[in-house]
Amino acid sequence: MKLSGRKPSLKINSLVGLDGVVTFFGAHHALKGEKLLSLEGLPVKLIPGPREISPNCGTALRFEYKDKDVVETIFNEKKVNFEQIVFYPA
Amino acid sequence: MKEIYLDNAATSWPKPESVIKAMNNYFHKIGGSSGRSGHRRAIEAGRIILNARSAAAGLLGVSDDSGLIFTSNATTALNTVIKGIFHSDADISSSHIVATTMEHNSVLRPVNSLKNKGLEVTLIDGDEFGQVSPEKIRSAIRENTKLVVVTHASNVCGTVNDIESIGTLCAEKSIPLLVDGAQSAGLLPINISSLSIDYFACAGHKGLLGPQGTGILYVKNKDTLYPVIAGGTGSLSDSVEQPDFMPDKFESGTPNIIGIAGLAEGCRYLLTHGVESIYKHDKKLLDIFLNELSDVSGIKLYGMKSSVNHTAVLSINIEGMDSSLVGTLLEERYGVQTRIGLHCAPLAHRTLGSFPHGTVRFSWGWANSEREIIKAAAAVKKINSISRNSK
Repeated sequence: MKLSGRKPSLKINSLVGLDGVVTFFGAHHALKGEKLLSLEGLPVKLIPGPREISPNCGTALRFEYKDKDVVETIFNEKKVNFEQIVFYPA
Repeated sequence: MKEIYLDNAATSWPKPESVIKAMNNYFHKIGGSSGRSGHRRAIEAGRIILNARSAAAGLLGVSDDSGLIFTSNATTALNTVIKGIFHSDADISSSHIVATTMEHNSVLRPVNSLKNKGLEVTLIDGDEFGQVSPEKIRSAIRENTKLVVVTHASNVCGTVNDIESIGTLCAEKSIPLLVDGAQSAGLLPINISSLSIDYFACAGHKGLLGPQGTGILYVKNKDTLYPVIAGGTGSLSDSVEQPDFMPDKFESGTPNIIGIAGLAEGCRYLLTHGVESIYKHDKKLLDIFLNELSDVSGIKLYGMKSSVNHTAVLSINIEGMDSSLVGTLLEERYGVQTRIGLHCAPLAHRTLGSFPHGTVRFSWGWANSEREIIKAAAAVKKINSISRNSK
């Protein structure tokens, strides 16, 4: 196979701008978190949890880190148990 | 001959079309394992479980949906509590449990197996209508009582117990209450969060209109139960310790996702139409049945004699005829499908005076019509008159 000569990139287009990650202990809360933030109109995406952040959950949630306070407020109000919120650009 | 299905207390049939569609959709278009990976199929499977939990919580009146556990049936849910409380040998040999004679074997058998290991057991008798007195429960509670188990509605005769009063008295004495809702969920309106109920177990394939292989357990306080089943949860995968958080603590192994997809739609059907309206429909059919069969010489009815505190279940016998013969005649000559015998509740039949011969049990649901009940009642009367004339 002929290579195009372009520099290979590991950039994932759907994650651009989603520079924050929430990790959870269990999938129930990750999925509940995604649903609640989506309903609020916040851009989010469920991803396989990055191992270097936490070994806890198979599923983590990417979001725009600038929304951190809103995310925390919603999760606390709606009893979504999360492990941590970190700045983690894709 | 048109069939008339009156065995909904065993499992409800038919299911709403949306239940079948959701199950088809899962196998055709999703197919992944929930909570185990981050790809599209896994995430969509996870959303099915999440939305099912939320629909079930709405239906049962549970404020925190993570307190609901999906199980494979009501039996597993009941065992999870009974064996989760009486876990160690020391717990078993030093403790006492209060249950009732109106329980199904899904309670009586695990309780009996613990009795064989030294658990003290008090079984409260139901009265002649199959109802359990809250006061009798109160006086049975001892210092070492660790659990009270009461069926919400009898699977034999449909008699409803006063779980509100029983819950209140258990709470006064700080004794946890397990309610067996196998015959009430989806049939009687309930708001668990407003009652003093610590655990509520139910099937998914009866009143909730889901498929077989599904059940639900509500757990108010996860710390009160030892997780009898441990295993993979998709969480804390770096550890061999069972997670201590809900719902993972009691949901090990790949769940019955296709079943839960169907169960979610069953719950949504009930949320859309309202359990109250299903209850009224069932009650109307019960009134017809009672009206047709009460005070007919040769026909004995069991349980409550009116439609008060009575679910969509009616047990009968025809004098001098084996219940199995009545059941066979009902199906062969009239297409009426019932369940005869002891209904996995031997002590309830003793209480009602129908042991060991059992009864013919009719149980209807959302899809049955008044016409079907009138036909079934007419069939019973016909068999009764043939039986009387042949003597």
